[in-house]
Amino acid sequence: MTVLDERRAAPPQRPHPRPDTARRRDRSIRAWVRRGGLTTLLFALPMILVFSVYSWWPILQSLWMSFQKTNLITSQFVGLDNFVNVLSDPLLGRAVLNTAYFALLALVFGFPLPIFMAVLMSEVKRMKGLYSALAYLPVIVPPVVAVLLWRFFYSASPTGVFNTIIGWFGIPPQPWIQDATQAMPALVLEATWAAAGGSIIIYLAALLAVPPELYDAAEVDGAGIWRKVWHVTLPQLRGVIFIMLILQIIATAQVFLEPYLFTGGGPNNATVTVLLLIYRYAFENSLGGKYGEATALSVMLALFLAAASFLYFKATQKWSTD
Amino acid sequence: MKGKTMKSPTKVIAIAAAFATVASLAACSTGASSDGKVELRVATFPPGADQAAYDAFAVQEKQFEDKHPDIDVIGVEYEWEGPTFTAQLAAGSLPDVFTVPFTDAKTLLENGQLGDVTDEITELGYADKFNPIILDAVTSSDGRLFGFPRQAYALGLQYNRELFEQAGLDPDAPPTTWDEVRAYAKQIAEKTGKAGYATMTQNNTGGWQLTAQAASRGGFLQSDDGTTSTIANDGVRETLQFFHDLRWEDDSMGDDFLLDWGSINQEFAAGNIGMYTSGSDLYTALVRDFSLDASVYGLTTIPMEAGGKVLGGGDIAVIPPSLDEATKDAAVKWIDWYYMQKLLNEDAAVADAKALADAGQAVGTPVLPVLDQATYEESLTWIEPYVNVPREQMAGFIEHIFEQTPVGEPKSRTQEIYALLDPIVQAVLTDENADIDALLAQADKDAQALIDG
Amino acid sequence: MSTTLKLPAVPRRRRRRASNPDLGTERGILSLHDRRRRPVRMGQLVSHAFLLVGLVVVGLGPLLWLAKAAVSTTQDTIQQPLALWPSGIDWANLSQAWFEVEVGKYFFNTVALAAGQWVIGLIVATSGAYVLSILRPAYARVLQAAVLATLFVPSVVLLVPLFITVARPAFGPSLLNTYLGVWLPTAANAFNILVVKRFFDSLPFEVFEAARTDGAGPFRMFWSIVLPMSRPIVGVVSVFIIIASLKDYLWPKLVLPDAAVQPLGVRLPNIQSQTELDVTLAALAISTIIPVVLFLIFQRVFLRGAGLGGAVKG
Repeated sequence: MTVLDERRAAPPQRPHPRPDTARRRDRSIRAWVRRGGLTTLLFALPMILVFSVYSWWPILQSLWMSFQKTNLITSQFVGLDNFVNVLSDPLLGRAVLNTAYFALLALVFGFPLPIFMAVLMSEVKRMKGLYSALAYLPVIVPPVVAVLLWRFFYSASPTGVFNTIIGWFGIPPQPWIQDATQAMPALVLEATWAAAGGSIIIYLAALLAVPPELYDAAEVDGAGIWRKVWHVTLPQLRGVIFIMLILQIIATAQVFLEPYLFTGGGPNNATVTVLLLIYRYAFENSLGGKYGEATALSVMLALFLAAASFLYFKATQKWSTD
Repeated sequence: MKGKTMKSPTKVIAIAAAFATVASLAACSTGASSDGKVELRVATFPPGADQAAYDAFAVQEKQFEDKHPDIDVIGVEYEWEGPTFTAQLAAGSLPDVFTVPFTDAKTLLENGQLGDVTDEITELGYADKFNPIILDAVTSSDGRLFGFPRQAYALGLQYNRELFEQAGLDPDAPPTTWDEVRAYAKQIAEKTGKAGYATMTQNNTGGWQLTAQAASRGGFLQSDDGTTSTIANDGVRETLQFFHDLRWEDDSMGDDFLLDWGSINQEFAAGNIGMYTSGSDLYTALVRDFSLDASVYGLTTIPMEAGGKVLGGGDIAVIPPSLDEATKDAAVKWIDWYYMQKLLNEDAAVADAKALADAGQAVGTPVLPVLDQATYEESLTWIEPYVNVPREQMAGFIEHIFEQTPVGEPKSRTQEIYALLDPIVQAVLTDENADIDALLAQADKDAQALIDG
Repeated sequence: MSTTLKLPAVPRRRRRRASNPDLGTERGILSLHDRRRRPVRMGQLVSHAFLLVGLVVVGLGPLLWLAKAAVSTTQDTIQQPLALWPSGIDWANLSQAWFEVEVGKYFFNTVALAAGQWVIGLIVATSGAYVLSILRPAYARVLQAAVLATLFVPSVVLLVPLFITVARPAFGPSLLNTYLGVWLPTAANAFNILVVKRFFDSLPFEVFEAARTDGAGPFRMFWSIVLPMSRPIVGVVSVFIIIASLKDYLWPKLVLPDAAVQPLGVRLPNIQSQTELDVTLAALAISTIIPVVLFLIFQRVFLRGAGLGGAVKG
């Protein structure tokens, strides 16, 4: 519905030649319908309606709401108050640091491992299907189930599942999520378990696309296995690796389910994340009194994520065109 | 059609507008139809209530409609849900009569989300009969009333009789001082390996229980008018020190410190907790929703120290702010008949107790009187034949609760301040070296900022 | 932000691979010569052992444990969580979970929610992509830019305003506690549209020209030509939508406050806090079964979709 200016509508890119004269005068609705304009619009309608109501409009509304105080029945313009309130919330710094910590730990635990696994899996010729399926299985488990299950595994009692396992190796029982320093790593461990399979499959697909000639060429130069990995495989994967990196940052910046269901942000705020804070503003303690603050913080987070997404897009564009 | 793409913008818009109109006509098919009766949508039970509860409700609905033929009562499933309340209210999907907990009432009425019923309560003539502490929960800063308190509880000490016996303690002689609680907890932990004592820590319940236990030691979170935060007081400090000592010196609090109302009940029902504080009416939920074996249940009063008071709570029947006059009138009639008369009137009380007992629901769970104590005690004699809860196992509470002075929850920003306190309780329970004074000083500052904000 | 943003041409590349499945003709890091060397063969064996044991323990282990716990007593599970065999099989857990905790009802809700999301999501994605890729009206570029732009807006920013839109629409009844409140917003998924569009872009254009010459209208072309040619991508997008539906938590939790219509995933935390451990674990096991069975049946589509996911996911 946005094409209001004829001059700005660029010609289609596809090569289907069309006499310039035909697009001139014929402007009546009937002619437009006859040319199939109505049918086209009919096809576009589901997308336009759904996006207008559930995407474009809420996006605009969120910008507007971040300057409003509203209880949904009445609202008033409050300028930058919401932003000021959010920025002066003593929990905000904690939430940002926690989220960054989660992201960092997720990178350390969860980033190299899938690459390593994928390389290994792509080189063992047999049973690749079985390995892929096994690796992907945790991804299939509904996240809520995974969290509830792991919450039980993390029982701090000496007979807890993980405490029993580490007991076999002579390690004393750990408090896991019951301790402010261990809680976040514990959450990341579960999140990594739940997500690594997806990354492995993606790297496997990318490894398939490495041109075999490059390895042949490297061998001609006398490269051994490790040099081939280092000088051929990894450089060939760098595009995918970079994309996965940004995707992971975008995903971890929005982490909610794990802290919400595992610890509720505890112990002692050790796992309060930005999204959990947004959720609390909007839906928990204030009973909807802070929709404005919630949107203000969302908008700030969104700006950060949009920057990351933009990088991602540039990256996919660059690496998909070479 | 590929050959031709340009079209007049106005025509595009016209067509789009036509589509929008059709779509909106299609969507706007619902509307009000009426046969002259006032339709009144009232809250019934939370989802998942058993059929028996609905059968009992149907009987009462019929009785009411016979009395008020111009009102058509429609029962609606309802459960208090903080996260979606505001939107449900704005969306008009809330019933015309529903209940909210005391704790949230202040926030809601300050947000302008409840209907003013001052005149109606005055007209019904029992405004002055309410327990003033309870009435306070529905009173706005300018003295208007926004709901009918309909049931209240005091916090009590819940305990597991079976664990008491296993630990060699007398289940009929529950502890009466905090020092005894500590000693009992230690004995239970040593003899049974279970948590002797536990406290809630999550979803604002940590702050709630800290407030209750501090109040019993004479420490309150706010000045009486709710304008000054007084969190850093000795009662709160002693309570946290108590948690610290049980956790780190006696190791009598088990190993799960992320508990909220539901999960602590679950652990208690599973026999893993010796004692904890919660509402005096908890029995109903413990048996119905958490499958507690009724014979192990014990309830006594929270130990009181000098200047200590017992924290109360409860819920109120309210209406949305947007009702028209006729509906509001009907809503008040329903509240009076369904919630209030059984507290005031023998016939109503007996009918209600009978309906509940017939449906297998708990009757006689100890509560705090919403109205004056004399009326409450009289009402207990009316319903005596229908009482079906083991009140002898709650003797410690029933016999001594009226010796205690009740106090309401903090006035300002209750939930947000509870949320500030959750992490402090968690810190003390999960970090042996938590600096209680520093934590309280910070919380006091943050709470004052919230109150001033 | 305009149409200069391009998605990688992954579908095409993948399709080439798929038409040429790994028959051993392709090589990886190791050459044939490498494979004959002794240390390498040892390494291969070690890798196999590592992968097999590691993946079975980590990937399958928790699920096997859950399966065992679902039919064990609470006491067994708490006191000896890692005993290989429970002291007795407690099948009653499963029936108790299914009937008393009403997992069956929530299970049905889950299926209904996913099915609706799938149908509506596919309609929006395929018809939208058809317009953007093949019909290409004048406004297609602006439309595409507007759709693409939403990829840059993380879903979190929409949480509150979208919730309000759904709870109190400008016209029509509130969508709270209706499945439409979940189906419609999740259908506004730019990623799926673009994946399908990329695929449509790669279809041979001559076929459409020929069909048009033969007098096929846009409807016939869509139904009889484009869709049949697009089975692979429709399969992949179906997997995306259904998995997303099964995994979603926060949104359905907010839009469906009434427990009677909640899907299993949303209901489980509440069930967990009110149910005895063994029955809870049985409920968890039951809710894991649908996606796992789906996965085992459609394994190829799943893994293909997952491989594609990384290259274009946004």
